[in-house]
Amino acid sequence: MRLWFSPLLLLTLLIGLSTAMPVLEPLFQWLQPDKQSVVYERESFLFLLQNHLTLVLVSAAVGTMLAVAGGIFATRPAGRDFLPLVNQVASIGQTFPPVAVLALAVPALGFGEAPIIVALILYGLLPILRNTLAGLEGISPAVTEAARGMGMSPLQVLVRAELPLAGRVILAGIRTSVTINIATAAIGSTIGARTLGDPVIAGLVNGNTAYVLQGAILIGLLALTTDSLFEALERAWERRFTPQFAN
Amino acid sequence: MTPNRVLPALALLALGLLWGLDLGAIQPNRIVPGTGHGLLSALGWPGAGLVTAVLVSIGALALAPLRHRYAIILVLVSLALALLPLAPELLASRHLPADAPYARSSLGAGFWCLLFLLCLMLVEAMGRLNAGRWLQLALLLFVAGSWLLLLQRDGLESLSLMREYNARPDKFSQALWTHLALAFGAVAISAVMAFALALKMIRTPGWQRPILGAVSFLQTIPSLAVFGLLIAPLSALSNAFPFLQSLGIRGIGWAPALLALIAYSLLPMVRNTFVALTEVPESLADAGRGMGMNERQLFLRLKLPLALPVMIEGVRITAIQAVGLTAVAALIGAGGFGAFIFQGLGQAAMDLVLLGALPTVALALAADALLTMLANSLRPAPLAS
Repeated sequence: MRLWFSPLLLLTLLIGLSTAMPVLEPLFQWLQPDKQSVVYERESFLFLLQNHLTLVLVSAAVGTMLAVAGGIFATRPAGRDFLPLVNQVASIGQTFPPVAVLALAVPALGFGEAPIIVALILYGLLPILRNTLAGLEGISPAVTEAARGMGMSPLQVLVRAELPLAGRVILAGIRTSVTINIATAAIGSTIGARTLGDPVIAGLVNGNTAYVLQGAILIGLLALTTDSLFEALERAWERRFTPQFAN
Repeated sequence: MTPNRVLPALALLALGLLWGLDLGAIQPNRIVPGTGHGLLSALGWPGAGLVTAVLVSIGALALAPLRHRYAIILVLVSLALALLPLAPELLASRHLPADAPYARSSLGAGFWCLLFLLCLMLVEAMGRLNAGRWLQLALLLFVAGSWLLLLQRDGLESLSLMREYNARPDKFSQALWTHLALAFGAVAISAVMAFALALKMIRTPGWQRPILGAVSFLQTIPSLAVFGLLIAPLSALSNAFPFLQSLGIRGIGWAPALLALIAYSLLPMVRNTFVALTEVPESLADAGRGMGMNERQLFLRLKLPLALPVMIEGVRITAIQAVGLTAVAALIGAGGFGAFIFQGLGQAAMDLVLLGALPTVALALAADALLTMLANSLRPAPLAS
């Protein structure tokens, strides 16, 4: 499938580079002749990649569930009262810089992975919440009316008409959220998470440009891989669901 | 008049968190974690009773069928917010040992939760009242002014955040200026570049895809990676050209920070400028032509003013993003409030982290508020039909 070609290519490159970084030692030696060690060895890149991904995936999964549930609640008759407030919170919350959220989580929760997960979930759910609301609110009343006219229960209207139609917009929110969280998790190295930010921070502290470069390249590749994966997913979603409701 | 269920829910949540969590703590020195004090222990019966009464009455008023209930609630919530610094002051006066010069008071989870929930109540009450921007600005100034006045009093001198600030007032104002200069310098430069790029895209539509593709590619790369990737080429450049070195352009410092910030700012700026300029309705342009305007006048007197609010929206997104990214740039030695954050994280001095993080948040919120108001005031008034 042509759709999945570029994410797969990038993924291969990412995993290949994470495993084979030591092979490139002569190249980094040439870049940085004055250092003994030119390939980051405290942790394997594959382990850092895996840990980085786990942090982002866990926070994206929890954040998506919370945000979609919140968005559905605020657009049902029972939760309509909360809609203006939830809308405002989702937009004001995104004004907070992610680094600041990360930094503020440390006094509250201490060092390590817990504050990072909490910060990533809290910050990451805002774009998803916003897009869930926009997606569900953007559906023309005629469509839900028609679905109800076909004898669907409110739950069926939600699952079979509203969510598929809003799905593309929600997916775009998840994409924004994951992009931000990959970057924030990298900065999480400064508060004690083992992510691909580690080599960058270690390199900055020791003045070792080769370490910085290795971390930076892998973080960049990870972000590009994920982004192209979402691109493909959004296209696939479009093909799967849009024709059913096209006029 | 339907009862409001949002405010009672928020008030109930605030009460639960306030009675369940620590309002603040007393620390013997900078690093040792202190002993926490709940609402009752921190404020005593009169104080705790007053706070509880205010929250209960906000919740009760929201359910009552009164005509001006939202106005009363707005006044109550703003007063509570404005007087909030009195709570840590009372805590310090009741519990801070008099003979321990290094002892300090700090704010607990209960305080932050109360602050957050009061802000939510304020947002909800203003929304129900359809408050205009002047009322919003007046309330903001009232609360901020009251905080500044209260923070100057002696009672809060023991607050750890104030201790950290008082230890380095010069560094703080230097960090403020560096942060502002980097963030808004990048916004200004990228605004000019984005304008040129958007004009190019309008004149030569073939450039649309490559330009938008390039700037969204830049936006996808995480900030830490961009900062890291710029170090090697910039230090090579400055080694090769000594005059660059004399300008202060090196692998670390302000130069890579500014470059990266500009690169990040281009996407929202280019996209909004392009959309703003292309979405001026053709019928309006025709009307302008009919009035005898030439293309240049059409652009300067019709398209640009109409596009301005959407362009300012781009500036707003960019400015918020740049304020946050400047904090990350402290990792490559660019200075600003991020320096306090990472220094504090390195020393496990949480109040130094707060001294960096809170002003960063405040700057982002201020940029958001000011630019939203600017965009709204530039929006042409809707014509009466």
